Amino acid sequence: MWKYIKRYLPYAIVAGLFMIGEVLMDLIQPGIMSRIVDDGVLGLHNNCIGSLNLIWKLGVQMIGLVLFGGLCGSLNNVFVHLSGQNIGNEMRKDCFRNIMTFSFPQIDRFGTGSLVTRVTNDITQVQNFVSQFVRGMIRTSLLTFGSIYCIFRLNWDFGLVVLCAFPFIVGCLAFCLIKANPLFFKLQAQLDAINAIMQEDIAGIRIMKACVREVYEKARFGKANDALIKTQLKVLVIFAFMNPVINALMYIVVAVILLVGSYEVNGGGATPGNIMASITYTTQLLNGVLMLVMLFQNISRGLTSWERVKEVLYSEPELKDGSFDGTTRQRGEIEFRDVSFAYPGNSKIVLDHINLSIHQGETVAIMGATGCGKTSLVNLISRFYDVTDGAVFVDGMDVREYQQKALRDKVAVVLQKSELFSASIRENIMWGDPEATPEAVKDSAVTAQAEEFILSTPDGYDTVVAERGMSLSGGQKQRLSIARAVLKSAEILIFDDSTSALDLKTEADLYEALQASSPESTKIIIAQRIASVRRADKIAVLENGRISACGSHEELMKTCAAYQDIYHSQMGEEDEKNECA
Amino acid sequence: MSALNNQKLAERNIPGMNRHERFVQAEHAENMGKTLKRVAAYFVHEKIMVLCMLLIVVCGTVCGVYAPSLQSNAVDIIAGIRKESLVHTLVFMIAVYLLYSVSQLLQGFISAGLSQRIVKRMREELFGKIVDLPIRYLDTHSHGDVMSRMTNDIENISTTVSQSLPSLFSGALTIIGTVAIMLWYCWQLALLSFATVILTLLATKILSKKVRKFSRRRQMLLGQLNGTVEEMISGYCTVVAYHHQDITAADFCSTADSLTKAGIRTDIFSGVMGPVMNCIGNIGFVIIAAFGGYFSVKGLISVGVISAFIVYAKQFSRPINEIAQIYGQLQTAIAGAERVFTVLDETNEDKSGEELAKEKNAAVTFRNVQFSYEPGNPVIRDFTLEVPSGQKVALVGATGSGKTTIVNLLMRFYDIDSGEICINNQNIRDIARDSLRRNVAIVLQDTVLFSDTVRNNLKYGNDKASDTRLEQAADISRCGEVIRNLPQGYDTVLVGSGENISQGQRQLLAIARAFVADPQILILDEATSNVDTRTEKAIQDAMQHVMRNRTSIVIAHRLSTIRDSDLIVVMDHGRIVESGSHDDLLAQKGKYYELYMTQYAGFAT
Repeated sequence: MWKYIKRYLPYAIVAGLFMIGEVLMDLIQPGIMSRIVDDGVLGLHNNCIGSLNLIWKLGVQMIGLVLFGGLCGSLNNVFVHLSGQNIGNEMRKDCFRNIMTFSFPQIDRFGTGSLVTRVTNDITQVQNFVSQFVRGMIRTSLLTFGSIYCIFRLNWDFGLVVLCAFPFIVGCLAFCLIKANPLFFKLQAQLDAINAIMQEDIAGIRIMKACVREVYEKARFGKANDALIKTQLKVLVIFAFMNPVINALMYIVVAVILLVGSYEVNGGGATPGNIMASITYTTQLLNGVLMLVMLFQNISRGLTSWERVKEVLYSEPELKDGSFDGTTRQRGEIEFRDVSFAYPGNSKIVLDHINLSIHQGETVAIMGATGCGKTSLVNLISRFYDVTDGAVFVDGMDVREYQQKALRDKVAVVLQKSELFSASIRENIMWGDPEATPEAVKDSAVTAQAEEFILSTPDGYDTVVAERGMSLSGGQKQRLSIARAVLKSAEILIFDDSTSALDLKTEADLYEALQASSPESTKIIIAQRIASVRRADKIAVLENGRISACGSHEELMKTCAAYQDIYHSQMGEEDEKNECA
Repeated sequence: MSALNNQKLAERNIPGMNRHERFVQAEHAENMGKTLKRVAAYFVHEKIMVLCMLLIVVCGTVCGVYAPSLQSNAVDIIAGIRKESLVHTLVFMIAVYLLYSVSQLLQGFISAGLSQRIVKRMREELFGKIVDLPIRYLDTHSHGDVMSRMTNDIENISTTVSQSLPSLFSGALTIIGTVAIMLWYCWQLALLSFATVILTLLATKILSKKVRKFSRRRQMLLGQLNGTVEEMISGYCTVVAYHHQDITAADFCSTADSLTKAGIRTDIFSGVMGPVMNCIGNIGFVIIAAFGGYFSVKGLISVGVISAFIVYAKQFSRPINEIAQIYGQLQTAIAGAERVFTVLDETNEDKSGEELAKEKNAAVTFRNVQFSYEPGNPVIRDFTLEVPSGQKVALVGATGSGKTTIVNLLMRFYDIDSGEICINNQNIRDIARDSLRRNVAIVLQDTVLFSDTVRNNLKYGNDKASDTRLEQAADISRCGEVIRNLPQGYDTVLVGSGENISQGQRQLLAIARAFVADPQILILDEATSNVDTRTEKAIQDAMQHVMRNRTSIVIAHRLSTIRDSDLIVVMDHGRIVESGSHDDLLAQKGKYYELYMTQYAGFAT
């Protein structure tokens, strides 16, 4: 954290100095008041004749100090926020930049939701923590210890009385915090549970109603709610206990000071003004301690958040960039050489000694059951993941040797899940090539069979796509992602099951247009439907991470049982035969 | 900030960003008075607790106001102005102070209990309401918004009730009591100390105006920033595939910078409140010390009164500060309460009606059914169809032809506009929804499973089913093996809507659930998701089994699965355009033939 604080340390130091000014003013005042009472009103050092002059003089002095204190406080506030916010901002930016260098296993390990909270909520917590630390910590500790010091300066006995009470106050606080802390975790878990029920029931409302389970769900929710309420009540009760008890302790201190004071006034060791000032200091001290408690709570929250932020900040990017700049003679050659792959932290072999070469301009289809490794296989080409064993070559060079940018410039992927962003349709397509001309954007939309629906939207290419493309249908999203990939005009085009929402006619038109517009690109198509893949130059059938067959449609129909099986089931000829199996 | 940038910001906040949009709006209740009245009604429900609380608050406030005067007496005794027993006065003072503490303690307990009871009721009412509302409500409202009412708004109300309520309760009384006793001691000094109140109010007003102005912009930027983070991290695959990391990060950084600028401005104005209040408090202190000294030299008051005034001034400025601080929180909570009440005011689904007559057969008839989700935009037009008992009818048609709507109508999730739907000549409009739904099972396109044990999920449609029945259903639905292979078998808890089993297995479980429900009528909305061919085979087999001897309506998305249906109905724009058996329809060379050929277009060449 020091790295971030260092840059804005001057602000923090200036803030601290102003804070000292503010607190000093707070501490001086009761002393002056004590003089107003003793010398001005009672005239203790002047044969019991009060002096109005002195009262006014001290009064004006005090007003001056108060205003100065207020000024210091305000300036402190300015510098506190300058340092806190800027430190938070630097962290936030670094966090995000760092996430952008993460590999997929890293993203998977954190989880998307968790990363989002870390960049948003957790950083805000850390930022608050810094601000509160700079402002609150300095203020409260100065106030607390300053008050103790001032009491001792006024009168040693009063000071000792306060010191005696101190352990009780701290003990009481510690007790409450220790009791309450584990409850906070429980509270969070129970809150999550309640939200989960809620979310689930909203999503599954039709099934719930169809099964007439309203009463059951209400009871399930009621149970979770009861648990939450119970814990929350416990926390509140603990905190309800804290303030009055500490207050009571303070009143006892006040009474003891009065009692001790009365003896000392008689003996000449103290003055009524002293007593009053001491009581004021005691109140200040108490306020300081109570604020400290609040701070501790926030600090522990801030530190937890900092731990979570730190994990993101100090995670090294796992994919090491190679040095090769991507200039090759070959364009669009891919070779899998004895490739095996398992997801990091998972022993299950997803790809098992795969050998496959794909030549420039070829169209290769990959078929197979879900979970057989199709997506994993193509992900290795763009080096979303690194192979466990063997190597993947693109244009004759191991993908690990490439600079990541150079490699990804060669490959355009249309993902299984079409991800669009809240920007205009044009901007979304232009992700493929930020410098593309409007004509190029239009051409790629035509190729992707998307132009027709784009023009039917209210603003055409300038229509804003809602967050995550929610305003579009599945097929529309897929076509926009395809247009985006086409615009990239890469050597290798990968379609990862990305035409599933298109009807077969549109799909066929798309592939035809694609072949016409970029005949020299190597195309890899993952699909479920035989109709989508049968015209490919080569069809690879994946089974349990191995290529069980590879050849043209006609070849496979003759030789591959699994392929025939898929073919027949999609033609719907085996329905009756298997019905009673 | 350039105008262009602002324009862009505004645009980004328009579509689909309800969640963030809410931040931008100033939080104000539309109808404050009415909402407050309804909140008050919740308190009326807890009469005894509220009364106890009031009693304790009164008692506590009296002690709180009385005790400093005893302290003042003690100081006077020490200063030799009063001649009384110091020890007696002190003991009495401590007793009063302790009483004050005890009352505060009780007040804390009661308000904690009170707030939690109210929140519990509110949350349960809201949840119950959402469950009881017609499906139309959830179909037309963003789920995120509904969730936020349940979580954020209720949480806000909860914190406000538990934290601010006691302050408000005792605050008002303390102010009255303290003001009265200060006036009684020395009205001149009292009036002078009240000057600080005017200062406080003034400062609050000026500052809060500034803060509001800046915080609006801040919230907007924050919404944008959070939106970017969410979008880019969840779409990270695409970001990487297009090597947009640097552009994305630069974009993020510029938003983060503007956010920080706006944040610093907001925080400076809102944070200055603390020092300003402190300063005003100190000014009050000086006024009391200086003028108190002056009055005391003049013989108007004793030194002890000064000491008492210092305590009183603190006592009555504290609630004022607190109220100033919680004012914003209070407004947010009231606005939240209003949103909750809007939901509570929606009309429930009507559950009345007669029982569905028990008969051996169950024929379903649609007669001239018209239906539209929005007036003037009919989805089902003049739909007439007879499904004889025990037969299988398939609905086919392009997306948007209205076939999925049939589920909504037959289950009475929505009521038809005209025409009638009958089961064995009993109009379903007259049948109680619960009774109707108990006799019809549905399997939906998107498989819904609950985070509960496999057993409870299977029993969802029929909680009296025996374990043998469950196992039998699971075996017939081809998922018995899958379940037995789970770590705890039938007692395995499915996490996060069933993420620990595959998509295909989830569909099998949903079919098994319909099997267990054992209805006379079944609606199957075929799933289109990408499951592999083998699992799909299993799913189709399971479907065939569950449909046997039941009146079934299949909403088909793939033609290969419905060839053996007793009747195939082709829909287009809410109308029936063709019907007949597979072979008849193919022979007709009409719409069905066309559809069939498009599906196999790849093979036509």
